[in-house]
Parts: sequence; C-alpha cells; structure tokens
Amino acid sequence: MEMLLLLVVTVLLICLNVPIAVALAVAGVAGILTFEGTNQLFDVALDMYGGATKFSLIAIPMFVLAGAIMNAGGVTDRLIAFVSALIGFVRGGLAMVNIGVSLFFAEISGSAVADVAALGSVLIPQMKKKGYKAPFAAAVTSSSASLAIIIPPSIPMILYATSSNTSVEQLFVAGFVPGLLGAAGLMGVAYMFARRYNLPTEEAFNTRRLRETFVDALPAFSLPVIILGGIFGGYVTATEAAGLAVLAAFAVGLWYRDIDFRHLHRAMLDGGMQTAVVMVLVAASVLMGGFLTRAQIPQDMAAAILEITDNKWVILFILNIFFLIVGCFLHSAAAIILVIPIVIPLVNAAGIDPIHFGLVVTLNLAIGQQTPPVASVLITACSVANARIWDVTKVNVYFVAVLLGVLLICTYVPAVPMFLVEYFYR
Amino acid sequence: MLDMAAKALETLLEWVVIALMVILTAVVIVAVLFRLAGDSFSWYDEVASILLAWITYYGAALAALKRKHIGFDGALLAIPMPQRRYAAYVAEAVTIGFFALLGWMGLEVILVLGDMGLTSLPWVPVWFTQSVIPIGAVLFIVCSLLSFPGYLALISRGVSMEAVEIEHEIAEAEKQFGLAPHDGAAQDKKRD
Repeated sequence: MEMLLLLVVTVLLICLNVPIAVALAVAGVAGILTFEGTNQLFDVALDMYGGATKFSLIAIPMFVLAGAIMNAGGVTDRLIAFVSALIGFVRGGLAMVNIGVSLFFAEISGSAVADVAALGSVLIPQMKKKGYKAPFAAAVTSSSASLAIIIPPSIPMILYATSSNTSVEQLFVAGFVPGLLGAAGLMGVAYMFARRYNLPTEEAFNTRRLRETFVDALPAFSLPVIILGGIFGGYVTATEAAGLAVLAAFAVGLWYRDIDFRHLHRAMLDGGMQTAVVMVLVAASVLMGGFLTRAQIPQDMAAAILEITDNKWVILFILNIFFLIVGCFLHSAAAIILVIPIVIPLVNAAGIDPIHFGLVVTLNLAIGQQTPPVASVLITACSVANARIWDVTKVNVYFVAVLLGVLLICTYVPAVPMFLVEYFYR
Repeated sequence: MLDMAAKALETLLEWVVIALMVILTAVVIVAVLFRLAGDSFSWYDEVASILLAWITYYGAALAALKRKHIGFDGALLAIPMPQRRYAAYVAEAVTIGFFALLGWMGLEVILVLGDMGLTSLPWVPVWFTQSVIPIGAVLFIVCSLLSFPGYLALISRGVSMEAVEIEHEIAEAEKQFGLAPHDGAAQDKKRD
C-alpha cells in the first residue's frame, strides 16, 4: 500500500515534468504525512541537508570540474591527432578515431552529453566531408560516447557506490575491462560498415608522426595516470584522485596556454550547476529512502521476490530487463538514485556481489542513453549530424547490439569485470 | 522589469556558486597534498561536506532559474493545449509548495539547534552552516517564479526543454572550437 502510494505520486509528478528530485521529495513527504504524521516533518529539512553533505560525493564536482577545464583547453585537437596517427590507417579511420578519442574523454569528463557535444562538433562535420553518411557518423559518436559512463571516472558509478554503500574505487576498477571490450566491439562494427561503404583511410601508419603527436598529447595523459594509477595503486581515494585531477587539468591548460579566465569561469559554473542538479536528487532520495527504510518496504519487496526465485542469475536477468526499461525513461543519475536503494536489499539477499551488480547497472544505463524517448546522448549526436533520430537508430542498432553483448558477458561471466577487482582488492 | 530581476539574480548566484567551487576545490587539493605529505586536517571532512551542501542549494536555485533540473517533459508535451498549460501550473505549484515546506522546516530546525557548534570547529555555529536550507528554499521559489513565464511560453509552443539544452551545449562547443553553426535536428523532439 505504502509503495503503491509512493509510486503513483512519483510517476504522476514526473509525467507533469516536476523536477525528478522534487517528485521524489514530495512522494517522501506524502508517505510521512500519511503514515507517520506531522511530527516527523522535521525530517524534510534534516534529510535534505544531510543528503547534500555526503562526503564521498565531493568527487562529483571535482571530476566534472577537471573535465570542464580539460574540455576548455586544447586537448581535443591533440588527442584527435594522436589517435589518428595510431589507428587512422585502418579503413573507416575517422570512425576509429572517434571511438578511440571517446575512450580517453571517458577518462576526463564523466559526462556523455558533454563528450558528444565537444567531440561530435569537431569530428562529425569532418566525417561527413569525407563521405561518411550522417546517420553512421551520429551512431558511431553516440554509442562510443556511452563509454563515458562505463570507464572511470564515472559519475553514475560514484552515485551507485554511495546509494549502495560500496567502494567507488572497486567499481572504477571493475569498469575498466568492460569499457575496453565495448570499444573493441564498436570498432569491429565500424570496420564492418567501413568495408561495406568503402570508407576512406586517414593516412599511412608513420612511426615518426605517432611519436610527435604522442609527445604533443603527453601532458593530457597525466589525467588518466593520476586517476587510474592513483586509485588502482591504492595511493589515493576516488575523492582525492578527483582533487588531484583538477590540479592536473589546470596545469595541462596552462602548459598548452589554452586556458583563460572565460574558460575557467565557465568550467567552474558548469561544475557547480551539474553538481547541484545531481546533489538535490541525492538529498531527495535520502528523504524518501528514510521513509522507505522505516516502513521496511525494500526488505518486504526483496522477501516477496525471493519467494518466487532465489536463483541469482534469474534475479540478475529480471533486474537487467527492469533497468533497460528504466533507462529508456530516466537519466542515468536519476535512475540510480531512484531505484538502487529499493533493489539493493534484494541484491544482497540473493548473494549478488554489489560491485558486480553496480557494473551491470551502469552498463544498462549506458544502453539506455541510446534508446528514446529519453536519449540525450543520441539526440545530441543527431542534432550535430543533422540526421533524423529514426535514421540514426537504424544504424545504431548494430552498435547497441555490441553494448548488449558486453552487458550479457559481464552479467553471466562475472570474472570479466571482477578479475581486476579480485587482483587489486581481495 | 522581470527580465532585469532575473538577470541580476542569475549574475549574483553565478558568482556565489563560482566562489563556493573555488573554495571547495582549494580545500580538497590542499587537504590531499597535506595528507600525502603525512599530515591530515581534522576539519577537512566536515568543512568540505558543508561546502558541498551550499553548492547544492545555491546551485539548485541557479538551475531553477535556467530550468536545468532533471525532468521528463515527454508526457507533458503529449497533453493537448490548453490542458498542458494547466498541468504546468499544477507542477509549478507542487514544486513551490515543497520548497516552501522545506524552508519552513529548515527554519524550525535552526531555531531548535540554537548555538550549537560544529564538531571539528566548535566556534562555527551550526545555524550558520544550516542556514542554506531556508535561504536556498526561498531562492529556489523566487528563481522558479522568475523563469516560469519563459518556460510556459516554450512548452505552450511544444518545445522540449531537453532540445533547448542540447542546442545550447552544441552551440557552446562550436563556439569553443571556432566551428560554423550546425543546422540542428534536436527540433525533432519538438511537438505541437
């Protein structure tokens, strides 16, 4: 009964385009007023303040800021030049470059929409000029940008770790191999299309050019070294790595002499606003989560599902379908904040490793970025390429199939995402 | 008049958010460097968390002014006019009502807390750090009211806020890289 009330209130308000954070909070207030009385209303202020002071989430503004500073600098052109020298000789070279640079952008921005806007604006016009069809250019850009939330640093992963009370560092490590696997698969599909459409290569492989572009891009590589090296090596926490990433991004901007006051102003503002939008959601989820926990709703739900089946593979299958549907309608941050506190007791009771499950959830939501109606990454790529969403989707279905394949592998062969976690932490 | 008030508030909030981001970044970086050098600050966790809460609520008010909070307007845009406008009024009333309640409860909590101090810095009163809730709530309400007429005009024309946001992001990227403006297809999301 309680759950039904919360669900109806939340869905109704979301359909009216009430901000999802407010919809969650109002549902929490409705629950408190209906079942606990007005004396409990103090929780509204206490939870909304407490939820916004979660220390582990300080990594979010730091990573967003580091990404915004790097985007503002001259990193993009140098990365494109380096990746072009590395893999541009393959047929469909610009598509490969697009995927390869997305891998790096995933390291530095953590925001797939920002990646598509920045990278797509540069690469899609070049691809179209060289004879790539607009829907193909948009599909490559869109699907490869979804790697941004699979490969660390990943804001959805930080949110998942906080919502499920697990280690964000372990989650980052778990995302590394699936991200590389996904990139290899996307490149395979791009190559298939390149042969079918007889797309051009960029330039012959040249060791000297590769060395020169590598040296030029070298300062930019300090970021993944700090983030991945620091965390994998156990020297720093995710929050500390995020702070150091800001310092490194600033140093890189100064080194390239591409950073100025206007860029910094925008980076700080973008970082602050993106953080605020996500953190209000987190705070609202604490308010609703408090009510849910007191009412024992997630525990009751877990018990009900476990009565039907306690097979963890079946439960993982059901949750995969559920998150794929949720991903069609909600942004990744909102989906995680809304759903994880409800399903995590079931995950724990079924004996599923919460780190493994976190990666599965993130992959599901990466695929959700490619599926309308809520598909901001896909829509951004379509807009830059001036291609219709339906035309792009017809090509993109092959790239989404790759991501689904990676999801299946990671779900049912846990060793793929987890062997690095086992090696470093267990 | 309304536009001027919105612009002034936007400028003020932008500088507040930027100042808080600068302070938080400086605190985190200095604390990390000191920790790596073998010396940790006892106040770091508490102060950084408070700064995060301040960024959250002052940034949330700014996001309300720019209509950037995460939402889903697909269902709303599917409602025919003029019912769509009535639905938007209801949604706005719910949002403002919630923040009015939050501000009120925030004030009550501050009155209860009285002169209590922070754990790591006892000379900093808790009412000062928690003042962000009532102040942030009032700012959110003001910002929502100021941006509502523009939002209402857009959704009345069937324009998705997501499409507006995407076009803005792309325009910023094109400006940054000195590229020619694209033709754009985000209007595919536009409905009548």
